[in-house]
Amino acid sequence: MLEVQDLRKRFGDKVALDGVGFAVQPGEMFGFVGANGAGKTTTMRIVMGVLQADSGEVRIEGRALTGEDRRRFGYMPEERGLYQKMNVADQIEYFSRLHGMSATAARAATAELIERLGLTERRASAVEALSLGNQQRVQLAVALVHSPSVLVLDEPFSGLDPLAVDALAEVLKDRSASGVPVIFSSHQLDLVERLCDSVGIISAGRMVASGPVDELRDSEGRSVLKVVVRGAAPGWADGLRGQVTTDGGRDVLTVEDGDDQEILRTAVRAGTVEQFGRQRPTLAEIFREAVA
Amino acid sequence: MNTLLLVAGREIRTRIRTRSFIISLAVSALLVVGLAFVPKFLSGPDTYKVAVVGPTPAAVENIAFTPYPDEAAARAALAGGDADAALIDDRKIVSEGELDQRLGLLLENAHREAKIKSSGLVITPLQVETGADAQYEGVRTGIATLLVMVLFFLLIYSAMYVAMGVVEEKSSRIVEILLAAVRPWQLFGGKIVGLGTLGLINLGVVIGAGLAAASATGLVADLPPGMTGIVIGTVLWFVLGYAFFSALAAAFGSLVSRQEELNSVLTPMTTLMTLTYLVAYFAAVEPMGTLARVLSIVPPFSSMVMPVRSAATEVPVAEIALSAGLMVVAVVAVLLAGARVYNRAVLRTGARVKLAEALR
Ligand SMILES: Nc1ncnc2c1ncn2[C@@H]1O[C@H](COP(=O)(O)OP(=O)(O)OP(=O)(O)O)[C@@H](O)[C@H]1O
Ligand SMILES: [Mg+2]
Repeated sequence: MLEVQDLRKRFGDKVALDGVGFAVQPGEMFGFVGANGAGKTTTMRIVMGVLQADSGEVRIEGRALTGEDRRRFGYMPEERGLYQKMNVADQIEYFSRLHGMSATAARAATAELIERLGLTERRASAVEALSLGNQQRVQLAVALVHSPSVLVLDEPFSGLDPLAVDALAEVLKDRSASGVPVIFSSHQLDLVERLCDSVGIISAGRMVASGPVDELRDSEGRSVLKVVVRGAAPGWADGLRGQVTTDGGRDVLTVEDGDDQEILRTAVRAGTVEQFGRQRPTLAEIFREAVA
Repeated sequence: MNTLLLVAGREIRTRIRTRSFIISLAVSALLVVGLAFVPKFLSGPDTYKVAVVGPTPAAVENIAFTPYPDEAAARAALAGGDADAALIDDRKIVSEGELDQRLGLLLENAHREAKIKSSGLVITPLQVETGADAQYEGVRTGIATLLVMVLFFLLIYSAMYVAMGVVEEKSSRIVEILLAAVRPWQLFGGKIVGLGTLGLINLGVVIGAGLAAASATGLVADLPPGMTGIVIGTVLWFVLGYAFFSALAAAFGSLVSRQEELNSVLTPMTTLMTLTYLVAYFAAVEPMGTLARVLSIVPPFSSMVMPVRSAATEVPVAEIALSAGLMVVAVVAVLLAGARVYNRAVLRTGARVKLAEALR
């Protein structure tokens, strides 16, 4: 288990992190979301040891993280960086060696990953000759090639085409299924919702919500009741505390709280009920509410 | 350590294939070879051709006599360039333009000797004895001057590559993933070791080319004894000087995030190197001077002044030992301070990091 505990960091007068903490289980995919400047990158840099926290700690399996642990991590920084003039295969292989792999293992892992990420045709090209999306694939390969024990990826999906997004999603699912904790940040909340087991929402350097996605969506007071009624007279829902929108002869009523049965009876009296049920908020809705 | 060597290996593999490295190898080797041939061009021909009318004198070293029937024929040979001078009836010398001084002396001498011998007098020529220093002085000064240029060129060129590499990694942000995998000192050290190895290869090529050219031109006979010592000393001093200046280069380079800022941030280092070059040049010309003696002890000047001074003249072993000891201390200090600056500054992209801030 990877634990981030009460991280604090300031840059001059600016407080970037003000007590950030969360935990990621082995085999869990953790989505890290938050507005621009909320502190995601800063947190991940501290996890990777390229930035020092003012206080707080990152722990793995119950003990403080060491340099040796980090050497087995895989990291994709927000600001991508590769040797522009080095070719794809050499580059991936070099990084796997830096992460401690033997020469033969490095070569095999590099070949496999190049294949998997669809870079076979570009394996001998210099990085500078690749399109941005392909450079990103190489960046990803560099983060993955040494079969890391923990994956920390800062906005890995930005700049990828839909096919590449799917390919990356598959790779990440694979890795997490093999027992690796995966943390990634993203602004694509639908993607996070689809991929992640749990999420953490950070706002202005503080965690405002975190936990399994299902729990967050189900939790008390978050779900709304949605009723669709056909042929009702205008003003039928005036007595209820909800909002009505009209759409092609249908009234859609959304109510945040109230007595379900009472609302159903009112709706049945007013017209033909086509839909009635509680709707869980999307991650985007939870996010907006949490960050507001 | 393994990681450091991995980093060094990448530096070597990528740089050794670049055109700029090959060009620098070729240019420095050509420079040395060219300079080795210069004395030959300046020293005139090995044998002179002299047209003779009348009796042919006894054989003289370095002169080939060719008989001609009369003065007109001899003059024609002169004009046609077939002879350097003409000796007419053992009484006058004719030449096109000015008579070569050495040839004149040789002929004059031969003439006198023949006359003296025929009068029955026997003169034992004076024995010449010179000290070892004086005997090779010219060659030693030449070698020393050449060394100054080669060392300066290689030092500044290798150090610049270190600085450029550091900035490249910083500006491309690759340093962030590198430092997630390796310690800063491994990166710092690997770069210095890798590019230093290339510098040594280059130095080896230069020395090899120089010696090969010297033996091709016959200059080898004029080389002072202890040439091996001079070569080994030069290599060792190059290593020390390189370690010193490249650590400075890496540290200063880590302060900036763009190649365009590199020149200005490196000014203290390049100034120090140029100063070292100038005093070393001075030491080559005047190896016995006080300036040369003092600065061949003081680091980092000693890194260039000492090898140059030892090439130019004999230097007491104690002085060399003291100088080397001080330089090693200076190198260690600069490496430690440099690694510290690098460690603090290399991840701070954006505005130029202040040196004082990085050292604190
Ligand atoms: N090196 C730095 N110097 C000064 N302030 C910094 C530095 N790095 C980050 N900050 C500040 O810390 C705060 C958090 O930044 P961070 O990059 O972690 O945000 P983020 O959540 O990753 O944002 P984004 O979604 O835009 O990537 C911001 O206010 C930022 O301006
Ligand atoms: Mg960020």
